[in-house]
Amino acid sequence: MSDKSNILKKYKIVFLGDQSVGKTSLITRFMYDTFDETYAATIGIDFLSKTMYLEEGKTIRLQLWDTAGQERFRSLIPSYIRDSHVAVICYDITNKKSFLNLDKWIKDVKLERGDDVIIVLVGNKSDLANDKRQVTIEDVESLHLKIGSKFFIETSTKANHNVKLLFKKIAQSLPEFNNEGTENENNTSNNNHNNPETIDITIDKNAPNPQTLNTCC
Amino acid sequence: MPTDQESSTISLNTSKVHLNPNSHNKLNGHQRNESSNSRSYSFLDYYGAESPPQISSGSTTIKKINGLDTESESIDPSTSLDVLDLKDDTLCADGDVINNSKSLDSEHRENYIQPINMASKSEILKSNFDRYGFKKGSTLHNITMEDYNEWFNIYSDSELRQLKKWHLLMKHHGFQIEENNNEEYIPTRFPPRSDKVKKMIRKGIPSSWRGNAWFFYAGGYDKLNKNTGVYEKIVANTRGIKNKDTEVIERDLNRTFPDNIYFNSNLSNNTDLKEEPNLIKSLRRVLIAFAHYQPQIGYCQSLNFLAGLLLIFMTEERTFWMLVILTEKIIPKVHSQNLEGVHTDQGVLILCIKEYIPSLWNILGKNFDGEPLEEDKILIRLPPITLVTSSWFMSLFVGILPIETVLRIWDILWYEGSKTIFRFSLTIFKLCLDSPDFQMNSQNGSSETEQIELFQFMQSFPKKLLDSNLLIDCCFKKIGGYGFGSLSQDEINRCRSFVSKQREKINQKNKNKSLTEMTDEEKTLIGNDIHDIYGFNRSIMSGMVWNKNIRKKLSSHKKK
Repeated sequence: MSDKSNILKKYKIVFLGDQSVGKTSLITRFMYDTFDETYAATIGIDFLSKTMYLEEGKTIRLQLWDTAGQERFRSLIPSYIRDSHVAVICYDITNKKSFLNLDKWIKDVKLERGDDVIIVLVGNKSDLANDKRQVTIEDVESLHLKIGSKFFIETSTKANHNVKLLFKKIAQSLPEFNNEGTENENNTSNNNHNNPETIDITIDKNAPNPQTLNTCC
Repeated sequence: MPTDQESSTISLNTSKVHLNPNSHNKLNGHQRNESSNSRSYSFLDYYGAESPPQISSGSTTIKKINGLDTESESIDPSTSLDVLDLKDDTLCADGDVINNSKSLDSEHRENYIQPINMASKSEILKSNFDRYGFKKGSTLHNITMEDYNEWFNIYSDSELRQLKKWHLLMKHHGFQIEENNNEEYIPTRFPPRSDKVKKMIRKGIPSSWRGNAWFFYAGGYDKLNKNTGVYEKIVANTRGIKNKDTEVIERDLNRTFPDNIYFNSNLSNNTDLKEEPNLIKSLRRVLIAFAHYQPQIGYCQSLNFLAGLLLIFMTEERTFWMLVILTEKIIPKVHSQNLEGVHTDQGVLILCIKEYIPSLWNILGKNFDGEPLEEDKILIRLPPITLVTSSWFMSLFVGILPIETVLRIWDILWYEGSKTIFRFSLTIFKLCLDSPDFQMNSQNGSSETEQIELFQFMQSFPKKLLDSNLLIDCCFKKIGGYGFGSLSQDEINRCRSFVSKQREKINQKNKNKSLTEMTDEEKTLIGNDIHDIYGFNRSIMSGMVWNKNIRKKLSSHKKK
């Protein structure tokens, strides 16, 4: 791989998923490290970009596309899914329906991009796992294996759990970083889309968050 | 889950009360008077001597609804229409017995807008919230509280001057202005349409008059008059129902104006009262009723913003009819199931840019990789920038521009119609193009970067347009502005029908591959004589060039 130290490599990442699963919240937590109980509903598409510092002085620029969740807005989306490197498809672990709808979102993405896009499954609101969980880890794991997504992860934007890790994993999944052994975790990144990696996503509120690995941001 | 809360009254907000402004000032400048719900106002007090309502006859004959008859002062359409015949059992779903006069007494509407006078001005300057209950300097607007106060300090003075002019206008048209120390004069009828009135509206309607004025000029009385009691019936019939729409609505209620004190009880200092705010309840009823009344639309995200903002200014029932007028007449199909109207209007907007701001088209008319779009493919694959502008049309700039700027555009929109959205979209584009920041941005960088940067810039730029007077001057002024006032409704309508025909063709073609694309003749026309085929009147605006005044204004605006 040639020396890219002077050129900021850019990646487009689109966030999809049902209404109010926490797409805006995920992006806001990542961008500004803040959390509000409520964000105004996203209409159409919002755009944000952030530079991420990785190991060995590598820098990449992530372009994040936040979308409206309501079904009818899908007709506005395809034109830019076409260009994205990563589709982060989100659901709410306390809302079974948002999980069942993942099928539709995945179908949309694959229709546009075939297997050419990295799909990531994110179950948000893991802080409510104890009393309100409706989607189990087994549920998402089997979906993950079925569709061949890159990885799946549960996050809590409220408790700031796994959000940085999510973005770090995304960064590591990007084409340029696949064959460079930058990972310092047990699981190794794999550039074969058909053999997706999985990561440990057990929720333990007392344990230190995995994202304290200060490898990004 | 919806609507089990209000067992005591079906508070349809059919009458309107303006609390003594002083009663607001006790708490934070914006706390509503908590006891107001239980206070027993006399109905006559609300309307004073202006219009004794005839409660006995639920549907008073309305002589004039459009304010054309200045003699019929004694009959106030709003009052008489607000007094609804509630005798039948439609509203008694939960066994509530509704007594006409009693229900009106308890179902008054609170006033959510702080009027402008010297006392309230200093209150507002001190408060964390603006006079509509929105948090000042929220991240949504990218404006700090200091910025806001600095601007408001000047703006409120100009609004006071404007209020005096409105009083003169009203007097000139024979309206009696009742003023006393406690009650702000708020007209329910307005002068008939004229150039003078249009001019006044472009300079801004006094905030506490807005709800009534919007409703009046949008043709609300006409709708209401033909549909007496309809809203109440729908509300009664849709109470507690659950379907796909209500589920989506329920999720959006608290995500409408989380930074507004009337929509988010967490913002209130009073921690004891964490009940669901009245406006959230109203919003729920209006959106559910609307989805029921317009099944071809149902509920579409962004309607929550429109209904929410309307509710700050008018009653639930009127908000409902305004949504109906908007989706039937002003921006049809924009909120429909397939968002066809969004695609059409974005196509029109793109053609307008191509026609009237060619220099911007040179930048925008590219795909994400920076390759120029083929002329005849524009309408098939709209340029990426329409991802930004779609929401301008769907939420009518709510959440896109600072709230006061939105209100100024709404003043004009309800009076002048949908061309207003196009005119202001073009103005925002042109201001953006002319802003020093943009010029710096667009000078360097590869084409792909350019597109992305442009996208980002276009998204954040409008949020800073706090100076509504500048925006409106730029839109309409022919000298020292862009003169987009020349873009007529007729042009827009013709262009809309052209675009929608082309889209039909495309859709047909997708279904049936054998159909041809745009004809060669049409392709040539698009390439050469674009204004002929779309019916643009370019000649009117030719020679309209970038003016140094605007650059000056912009840079001074920026320095502030």
